[in-house]
Amino acid sequence: MRQISCVSKLAKGTTLCAMIALSAAAYASSPIPAEKIAVAKSSLQRAEQSGAPEFAPVEMAAARDKLARAEKALADRNKQSATQLAEQADVDAQLAEATAQRQKSRKAAMEFDASMQALRQESQRSSATN
Amino acid sequence: MNAKLFTGMGLALALGACVSMPQPNAALETARLAVQTAEADPNVNKFAPLDLDRARKDLSIAEDASLHHQDAEVDQPAYLATQNARLAQAHGATKADDARVAAGQIERDQIVLASRTREAENARASAANSRVAADLALNQRDQAVNQRDQANDETARANGETARIQAELDALKATPTPRGLVMTLGDVLFDTGRAELKSGAGRKMDQLGQFLVEHTDRRVQIDGFTDSVGTDSYNEDLSQRRADSVKAALINRGVQPSRIGTEGYGKAYPVANNNDSGGRQLNRRVEVVIGGNNGTTIAPRSGL
Repeated sequence: MRQISCVSKLAKGTTLCAMIALSAAAYASSPIPAEKIAVAKSSLQRAEQSGAPEFAPVEMAAARDKLARAEKALADRNKQSATQLAEQADVDAQLAEATAQRQKSRKAAMEFDASMQALRQESQRSSATN
Repeated sequence: MNAKLFTGMGLALALGACVSMPQPNAALETARLAVQTAEADPNVNKFAPLDLDRARKDLSIAEDASLHHQDAEVDQPAYLATQNARLAQAHGATKADDARVAAGQIERDQIVLASRTREAENARASAANSRVAADLALNQRDQAVNQRDQANDETARANGETARIQAELDALKATPTPRGLVMTLGDVLFDTGRAELKSGAGRKMDQLGQFLVEHTDRRVQIDGFTDSVGTDSYNEDLSQRRADSVKAALINRGVQPSRIGTEGYGKAYPVANNNDSGGRQLNRRVEVVIGGNNGTTIAPRSGL
């Protein structure tokens, strides 16, 4: 009897555990790797146009590598791997683009700061001499 | 019973694996740290909250998978969480820099505007100063030119005056002496024994009168003389009356009486020998002495 109740408890727990496992698996293999690959390609193109190869070469290389592997996985009918690699390639490309933008903005801001400082000094000097 | 027990053990094993503490996962650790770092970044909260939301969602999926020991399902969302957290930071920093530059540009425009305004004011002021200086220089130049012209005029006038006086005196046939310029009016201007000026004297009187009217600072002394014929009293009276006639003629021509002195010397101070008629004619005369231009009185005839 004790054993049965124990088993009953265990069964409930197992059910819950299995549901979570299933939902996790559903997420991982969630649909249509070809679409994911297309999204990654688009992100990669945007990154290339934003100067990411120059400013974020590591992220760019990772994104390109993963996209190639995703396409190969798709060709090999390994849908889950293709999807995961495409997702990673997409986020890597986005990060490459953002990193490039971030560096360009930082550079522009520093140049602006320098020009502002020069302008303030000149303004003070010219107002002091007048 | 054996089968039952086996099944129970199997379930227990599976359950134990599921609820036991998850093994440390490097990807998950990295994701947690990345999300925490992004959460602590004020630029992320301000400028990239959606990126952070995505990272949190990925992390929670990874945490769930890890909690339930689905190790194979941890790495992917953990990786996505990490990258999305980094993405959030990159976007946040970019937008923060852009916002700072945009705000700074307003300040820069104000500084530039103020600077331009100041430059324009300075230029205007300096132009005004230049104009004032130019006007001043022009004025000074005009003044200098005027002064020079004036000086030239005065010099010319003075030169002309001197020349004119000289010409006038020449016309009067005046001779410089210690008492002044002396003009001698011969006796041809008077009838014998009479004191009235003959009409022929008019031109001489005009010249002398005009000269004295124009040169009001000069006094004039009119001295009458006779030859030695006749009594002294008669000669002195005649010489005085002849001098007075000349004075009257000058007064008629506008000369102030107070400027004119007269004296009758009779036969005294002859200029020639009274023994012959030619000498006596020279002695019958009226001398007009023109004083200096400072209004000095003319000393009476003495000595000689």
